[in-house]
Amino acid sequence: MNKTDKHDYSALARHRSNIYGLLATVYRQEITSNLLYQIKDPQFLGALSDIGLEGIDDLLQNPENELLEDLAVEYARLFLGPGKHVSPHESVHHQRNNGQWGKLWGASTVEVKKLIETTGLGYSDDFKGLPDHITVEFEFMQQLTLREEQAWKEEDADKAAACRNVEKKFIEEHLIRWIPTFCKKVIQEAELPFYRAMAALTRSFIEFEMEEMNRNGNGVELRREGAR
Amino acid sequence: MKQEINRRDLFKLGIASAAVLATGKAIGSSALAGTVDFVEGGKDFSPETGAERQMIPSACWSCVTRDSMIGFVEDGRLVKLEGQPNSIRGKGKICAKGAAGINQLYDPDRILYPMKRVGKRGEGKWKRISWDAALTDLAARLKKLRDEGHPEKFMFHYGRMKASSSKIIKSAFLGAYGTKTIGNHTSICEGAKWTGQELTWGKHYDNWDFDNTKMVVNFGSNCLEAHTNSIPVSQRLISGIVDRGVKLYTFDVRLSNTAAKSTEWVPVKPGTDRAVVLAMCKVIMDAGLYDKDFFKFIKATKNRKESTDAKIAALKKHLDTFTPEWAEKISGVPAAKIKSIALELAKTKPACVISYRGAVAHHHGADTERAIQMLAAITGNIDNPGGRCRGVGAKWKYPKGPKDKPKAKALKITNGFKGDIAYPTHGANHQVLKMIKDGKAGRPEIYMWYCYTPVYSHGETQENIDILKDESLIPFTVNVNAYYDESAALADLILPNPSYLEWWDWEDMVSPTQIPEYYIRQPFVKPLGESRDFKDVVCELAQRMGFSLGFNSAEEFVKMSCEMTPDVKAAGGFEYMKKHGVWHDPNAKPKYYMYKKEVKTEDLKKDGVIFDEATGVYWNWKKAHAESEAAAKEKGYTKTKNAYKGYVGQEIEGKVYAGFKPDKVNKSGYFELYSELMEMKNLPAIPSFTPVPVHEKMGPDDLILTSYKVSVHIHSRSANCKWLTEICHDNPGLINSKTAKRLGIKTGDKIKVTSEIGEITTTAKVTEGVVPGVISISHHLGHWQYGRYASGKKSPFAGDNDPDFKLKTWNTYGVHPNWIIANKPDPISGQWAMLDTVVKVTKA
Amino acid sequence: MQEQLSISRRQVLKGAGAAALTGAVTLMPTGKAIAARGEAPRWAFIVDLRRCIGCRACTIACKAEFNVPLGAFRAAVYEEVTGTFPNSEKLFLPRLCNHCEGNKDDKVPPCVKECPEYPKDRREFVTADGKKIRYRGGATYKRPDGLILFDNKLCTGCGKCIEACPYGARNFNKLLISGKDSTKNGITKCNFCEHRIAKGVTPSCVNICPGRARFFGDLNDPASEVSKLNKQFGLVEKRNETTLLPGENTVPTCFYIDSQGALSKMAAAKQKFEKNDAILDVI
Repeated sequence: MNKTDKHDYSALARHRSNIYGLLATVYRQEITSNLLYQIKDPQFLGALSDIGLEGIDDLLQNPENELLEDLAVEYARLFLGPGKHVSPHESVHHQRNNGQWGKLWGASTVEVKKLIETTGLGYSDDFKGLPDHITVEFEFMQQLTLREEQAWKEEDADKAAACRNVEKKFIEEHLIRWIPTFCKKVIQEAELPFYRAMAALTRSFIEFEMEEMNRNGNGVELRREGAR
Repeated sequence: MKQEINRRDLFKLGIASAAVLATGKAIGSSALAGTVDFVEGGKDFSPETGAERQMIPSACWSCVTRDSMIGFVEDGRLVKLEGQPNSIRGKGKICAKGAAGINQLYDPDRILYPMKRVGKRGEGKWKRISWDAALTDLAARLKKLRDEGHPEKFMFHYGRMKASSSKIIKSAFLGAYGTKTIGNHTSICEGAKWTGQELTWGKHYDNWDFDNTKMVVNFGSNCLEAHTNSIPVSQRLISGIVDRGVKLYTFDVRLSNTAAKSTEWVPVKPGTDRAVVLAMCKVIMDAGLYDKDFFKFIKATKNRKESTDAKIAALKKHLDTFTPEWAEKISGVPAAKIKSIALELAKTKPACVISYRGAVAHHHGADTERAIQMLAAITGNIDNPGGRCRGVGAKWKYPKGPKDKPKAKALKITNGFKGDIAYPTHGANHQVLKMIKDGKAGRPEIYMWYCYTPVYSHGETQENIDILKDESLIPFTVNVNAYYDESAALADLILPNPSYLEWWDWEDMVSPTQIPEYYIRQPFVKPLGESRDFKDVVCELAQRMGFSLGFNSAEEFVKMSCEMTPDVKAAGGFEYMKKHGVWHDPNAKPKYYMYKKEVKTEDLKKDGVIFDEATGVYWNWKKAHAESEAAAKEKGYTKTKNAYKGYVGQEIEGKVYAGFKPDKVNKSGYFELYSELMEMKNLPAIPSFTPVPVHEKMGPDDLILTSYKVSVHIHSRSANCKWLTEICHDNPGLINSKTAKRLGIKTGDKIKVTSEIGEITTTAKVTEGVVPGVISISHHLGHWQYGRYASGKKSPFAGDNDPDFKLKTWNTYGVHPNWIIANKPDPISGQWAMLDTVVKVTKA
Repeated sequence: MQEQLSISRRQVLKGAGAAALTGAVTLMPTGKAIAARGEAPRWAFIVDLRRCIGCRACTIACKAEFNVPLGAFRAAVYEEVTGTFPNSEKLFLPRLCNHCEGNKDDKVPPCVKECPEYPKDRREFVTADGKKIRYRGGATYKRPDGLILFDNKLCTGCGKCIEACPYGARNFNKLLISGKDSTKNGITKCNFCEHRIAKGVTPSCVNICPGRARFFGDLNDPASEVSKLNKQFGLVEKRNETTLLPGENTVPTCFYIDSQGALSKMAAAKQKFEKNDAILDVI
């Protein structure tokens, strides 16, 4: 691995981390006024339009108060209820071959919680949701990729590799197993283009991640002794 | 649309995302804490190995029995509940409902967020709001009422709230707030039994000492199947029957599981148990088989100083017309049967006479309970080993909330309509909604209900819905609930409570051994979602309104109580209780014959203690808050308001005894078979027979509708439990084969059941297990909300799926009988006379 | 998975739990009594119908122990009203796998006999004193201690064992994919809580039963409660009256103490639980 590679990985990790952070934010709660302001930024909308996600500009033209209310109602309707909604939890969507899927706080929940906790991260006391909420999983990846970037900067290839291994494992065994299904349902159910676009972005990104891991994941093997 | 990301896109998107994230805190706080750091040696992740189950002692709350139990937690998920082997009450046992408690915790239809209604009330449109928004709104509304001097316009109505929950919410919070408009659910349960007991021996709870008894005579209790103290009592009774040959005679309309295990099931027509009891008393008195010694403590005549012989003569005279032959005509129980069981009861010592809703949920049900008390008393089976004892439970010390509580105010809507009920000592809360509609006694502006479903639990269901829905009658409705039930659907604000498996309590339920047991409930897991224990919420609500309860959470309250209760503290306090769950004094002796204790002379000389010649009661007029000594003496004990609160002792033949201490009414310390309080209200002074008025007017084709409970369901809160509802998801009307033949009805036929209130359509089940002339429909079922397992209907806040949904084998959910049962009260106690309903049954 | 449950259960008994929970569960004599004899236990299950109050705690404890999916039961209670009013009776009959010995000739119960994946691998059962007894594994197989067990790894989901069981004690587990055919389901049935008894802990349904109507233990141990009950009521000797469907000649190891004649009365009143119908607990 040469220096360029390292630099490339470092930057890649940083960008990935930011995207995970953004996605975590999108699903965490109803959109706030501050966040809306940032989303309206042409740079962000431009990046979306580059990957073919259009149609939310018009929506964003609506008066802010009305827009925030509409988005809040849409958020609650999509992810909380009333009526049919799409639960943003892995254990509900992750189909496991032993049949243990589809329930809240199921086997996937436990796996996610344990994996997160083995990395030294923990659930903050304020957090009231379930351990496999989509936001948790994206935050987890955000933190892992952040740590990976730091490792590259410190030229600690072992640590970076360790991070990438967990990332790969998590994408393979968790994210790819449910995020596309989840996003498909959101796209079907969404009434406003915003969450439809976000779901499309999420799905594309996770698919990119899976490919990226398959393409380059094997390039760095985890060396156990390297993990401090 | 392209929607495929390449690296270039990714970098651009990454940069844009970074800008968004730079907004900082406004985007919400992180779910995760800490930084990625691989710990020494790196723990390997595997769900298949190293799973460790943590054992936590706690207590059940499925029903009021509140058994001690233990639970096993694996990876943060509660996986199993078992009985607590160290409990002297439950002895390691729990019931089906207790074990299925896990279904309550992980019900996919559970409410996990505060929700505010956005459409019309009852329309089913909701918006999730934050706890902050919910409590800001609620505190402002509550504070406004309080500031305006009308705290009583906040009505709090609970179904189940016991022990520390009651102390925190009712005594501390509602007390400090200043409302006494507080409803309970006792009139739909056993209010008449409590009032009947209060009028005879003072306290309301009784305990049946099955460990030491030789014979049990049972009027309308289904204690082997569903009971107030189910598991502690049922295991002792069945063991007594098999191991010691205890005889059990069960008088019941239906062949319940208890009747099934009885020496004999004695079928009896609904509402006629009292005739049987009075006849049994007559047989025993006439045969001279009464316990003469106990008569010393009995008041059987107006003049308390009558000799035992005179008391016996008076009682015999009173009972004279209540012959077994007379009782047979009324009850359908053969006279010979009445005689033989009565004589066996009188000759078997000790024996236990027991009773419950089957006997008392009728017009004058409280008098039936008094008659049953009489039967136990004349056979000497009161407060004795093996008999009917006064309940003993843990006596916790606890923080009482703020000292400067205002004088609480109340809307007079919890005790029924004015003049309707003589002694509603436990309320007539099935009439609350009717009274709100009436409006003459005022209406609450905020109606909050907790662990209760006013719509479903009362009779006249449609009226309940109409009233609760009407914003002009009740401007603001709040429900504290974990589940979207029929009443939650009519709330303006829903505060998500956790299941009982996620909260703290100390507990004190009656012990079957007459030795008090102290025990606690502690959470197995963190409350799911944003659900918050309402006991914690009231601490915050108080703060928001500018007062403090003196503790900040239920956990803190339980901890403080453990340290304040000397015996528990000595055992190791809070830490001991958390580790062990239960404690009792291993050297304690069972409490019997408490009435025989003599009162110390110095206690009679204390400031304010006076003697009431008419009743023989020593009482403290100051403690009773009487106006003055002179006024107290002039009015006398019986007629001074709340005089019972000053009760000290009962003079009998020159000695002063602790006696049968009053609890809710101004009775004397005698065991009162003759009740001046009853006489004052033109009710029979000595238990007597009064037919159920509506039964007097029955036509030849009319049936009586009764209800009952099965072993696998709680009154109204278990249909969401998939394992329980899988076993019982239908409640056909049971009809005796003779009656069915007369009506031309076969098992499986659709039938219409019509009362004065309305009509339901259900299914018939023809059986030999119910008396003729009756249709019996179990409670529990017929939900039209409460989630998919209970009603087939998804709750608005539901989780997406449960793998068991696709395997659900039932699509019938039963029919609720309450639609057609009138909300009539027993005029003595206020008990909902739910088992008196006259109906017509026809093929649909 | 089951193995872990019992290990952790033992940890519970050994560790913090032991002090708090003296006698947390009824421990069975697996120690010296068996070690002295050097033979496999002869497990038996006894239901004392006099004590059964029809409460269904057993049904639910079993559901919880194994997270049994809806539609399937490993334990159930049947109830029936018989007789004519007012001389009617209500009878209860708990049901579970009978862990049959099999007929006298071949000692193989019908479910094992019908299993196409039996016999398979050779296995050894180690007695308490270390003596090894050989037996053959399979998707459904009989262990030397009499347990009829199910091994999903070997199961093809053919359902022949379900058909073969005259007691309806077996069900498909619709949330379990069979080990050898991913298009089929595995099965679920009572295994006498093998993971618990291996650690000396009574089966879950025995542990919960409020009426103490259920007994589990070793007939080879004369001191066991089941041996005493067997002696008192002649359960093995009178097996035609104390077991279900004696005519099937399966030789159950689950016995009933039946003073009311419930077995025959219920059989006469209803055919439902007679043969093959999957056991079902519905009131």
